[in-house]
Amino acid sequence: MNEKIQRKIFQYFKKNKIENFVGVPDSTLKHFIDEGLKCKKILIANREEEAIGIGAGMILAGSPTVMFMQNAGFANSISTITSLIQLYKIPIIFLIGWRGYLKDDAPEHEKIGKIQPKLLKNLELENRIMKDNTWEKDCKWALSKIKKKIPVALVIRREFLD
Amino acid sequence: MIRKDAVKIVCKYLKEEIIVSANGFISRDVYSSLEKNTNFYMIGSMGLASSIGLGIALKKPNKKIFVFDGDGNILMNLGSIVTIGSLQPNNLIHIIFDNKIHESTGGQPTHSHKNNLSKIAKINNYTVFSANTKKSLENILKKIRKIKGPILIHVHIIKSEERSSRVNILPEKITTRFMKAIK
Repeated sequence: MNEKIQRKIFQYFKKNKIENFVGVPDSTLKHFIDEGLKCKKILIANREEEAIGIGAGMILAGSPTVMFMQNAGFANSISTITSLIQLYKIPIIFLIGWRGYLKDDAPEHEKIGKIQPKLLKNLELENRIMKDNTWEKDCKWALSKIKKKIPVALVIRREFLD
Repeated sequence: MIRKDAVKIVCKYLKEEIIVSANGFISRDVYSSLEKNTNFYMIGSMGLASSIGLGIALKKPNKKIFVFDGDGNILMNLGSIVTIGSLQPNNLIHIIFDNKIHESTGGQPTHSHKNNLSKIAKINNYTVFSANTKKSLENILKKIRKIKGPILIHVHIIKSEERSSRVNILPEKITTRFMKAIK
């Protein structure tokens, strides 16, 4: 997903009353994160689980929050997602950068990238893959879900190699 | 001093302050000592009580947040001390009940035996207090009322067989009543 759209996604969330963006940096999402840093709205945690804890606290305090992370870090956090976010019905939006989407991505992303869709399915976490022509609809969908207290995930595929 | 007595003493000094309690026996002790709507009993997600407390503290700067943590819990998310020390929420009071074991899972040792959690908090710019006795804990609780956070109260406790009953509220209910109460 290109730089311009990533920056638009950030601004869209900000305009629609998302007050906090907490997570761990990911190169797939770097323009989104950069836009947030410029607006002084980003809080970077040490690990994804920690980020989810902080974000959950913010939501409990009534302040809507988006969590950003790489799919590897999302996988780190499965127990936190099931035993905190889903168990306590904390309405959070996960924004996940999908490494290993391309078959020739770096070897460490291969396995986790391959099982990414199954992982979300088995977690029963409602999700959408955002594309250049669907992102606005997808963000709107995510915002409507958290209003109904349902946590969701939005996925951005890594479509380039470096 | 045993864990249950230490938790009871801290609760005696609290009224409507927000409490986030770590999973295991700590949450159970809070539930039996001072059950109220402004408590968030974290029954899963081991290690994250201080992170949840930080998120609340940042968004509710006019309310005091007390995190009831354990040594096993904080060691699982030690980076949280770095983040809290860096963001300096002055309304966060982080209490670690340190028995140097994972009491809830059968008393296996933690690494707080040889590492001093107070020192770790201190180099991360917490204001640190350490309590070995009931009296020293009470004195600290009186003293911290006028001190800005982040504060660590490192409470040294001994192993005990005392058990409180399970938190008997559905997690979903804990969320809704907590959010309503701290609005």
